[in-house]
Amino acid sequence: MALSQIEMERYARQLALPGFVHMTQEFLRAARVHVVGTGEVGGPALLYLAASGVGHLLVDDAFDLSREDAASWLYGAGKVGEPRIFAAMSAIRTATSLAKVRPYATGSNPSAALICVSSPAVAREAAEQARIAGLPHVVAFANGEDGEVVSVPRGAPCYQCASRLSTGTPARPGAGAAALGTLAALELLQLLAGVVDGPIGRRVDLPRGLPQLQRTTRVAGCACGRSRAP
Amino acid sequence: MSLAEKSALVLGAGGLGSPALLVLASAGVGRLVLVDGRAVEAVDLSRQPLFGEADVGERRAVAAARRLSGLFPAARVEALDRTLDAASAAEWARSADVIVDALDDFVEKFWANDAAVGSGRPLVHGGVLRYTAQLLTVVPGATGCLRCLFEEPPPPGSVPTCAEAGVLAPLAGFAGALLGAEAVRILRGESGTYAGRLLFYESRRARPHTVPVRIRETCPACRAASAARPSGAASPQSRNE
Repeated sequence: MALSQIEMERYARQLALPGFVHMTQEFLRAARVHVVGTGEVGGPALLYLAASGVGHLLVDDAFDLSREDAASWLYGAGKVGEPRIFAAMSAIRTATSLAKVRPYATGSNPSAALICVSSPAVAREAAEQARIAGLPHVVAFANGEDGEVVSVPRGAPCYQCASRLSTGTPARPGAGAAALGTLAALELLQLLAGVVDGPIGRRVDLPRGLPQLQRTTRVAGCACGRSRAP
Repeated sequence: MSLAEKSALVLGAGGLGSPALLVLASAGVGRLVLVDGRAVEAVDLSRQPLFGEADVGERRAVAAARRLSGLFPAARVEALDRTLDAASAAEWARSADVIVDALDDFVEKFWANDAAVGSGRPLVHGGVLRYTAQLLTVVPGATGCLRCLFEEPPPPGSVPTCAEAGVLAPLAGFAGALLGAEAVRILRGESGTYAGRLLFYESRRARPHTVPVRIRETCPACRAASAARPSGAASPQSRNE
């Protein structure tokens, strides 16, 4: 279906970009992104995916709201204790009616995944599930004022091969958490829009806000090299 | 001093200013002065996370302050529904600990630069167009400024606007979040990541590029500020420590 007048007006800045045509925006509208985590990194990422025209957001978050969650940009004061997933969906619906947002469930049939959790084990598991399902995915991980964003298009080295933070105990995210979340949304949006012009599979480290690009490589013997997703 | 006792002047509450303000407020900066003289338009909603569909038509300064106060009740938000001019910029700069340039007009950016250099306040500058973001931190007396680098704003019409050339929404968010985090570092008394170097980030290639920005001897802004600064005055950086 062609873009409506409302959509053309809303996304006019993106539609003016080189390499970004109406069909690109229509493709984003048809995308179904599984968003894992809506905290300090995932909250800003979710907002930007919705705002930039991703049509279906499948939200996945098991936590209740705490005081620290104000840094997620989604939750007002006075909601402490509520399930974060419902508060996140409510915030997105207030921001835009052009994105459909609902809880992730078995059978949601996502076309991509964005993983922004604070547990290395959960990040690894979610990334591996996305890889096995053949979904392009992006993983953002904060470690104090440091952090990384790993892009895993189909067939690229997996998150476990690519990450330098997938083990250990991370420090609490600092003021750079939102930058990681927005960068993760940016990387996924560019993958979905087909405008990436660089290495297939990459990691962007963000020490103190200074982006550093790393081409990712497969660890010898990793299962991701033996069983490529279809 | 804690961040709760610090103040930030944020010029522009749009694609860069929205995320920068959210980062500053979430970090616990006590006083936020935001200056924006426009109304919320539908096209803003794709890259300005302070606003929702119900805000279209409202003044951006008012809607932004309401949203920030709702999310961060401890922050003191002062919203100025004003367009920038050189005299006002100089006056507002003197009452801030850091200045965030989230403007999209080149002439206004140079006013912000001159106000920062003249008042000795650090300035975090940001810009975004198409697939490229740029950031620079100006520490008066220690690093070069926008005039050291570019001398003058480009002639009208020589550089396309965001409306003409486009911008990818999350790239504006990324640049704005980096702006806010850099301002927080400055307020904590840390050295700025972009102090004295202009960072370009091309998002399709994820390729960063930095250019050193040194004080140019013939820069009129830096020369005037240097002449007015008493000898042995504390550096702006040390004022925030």
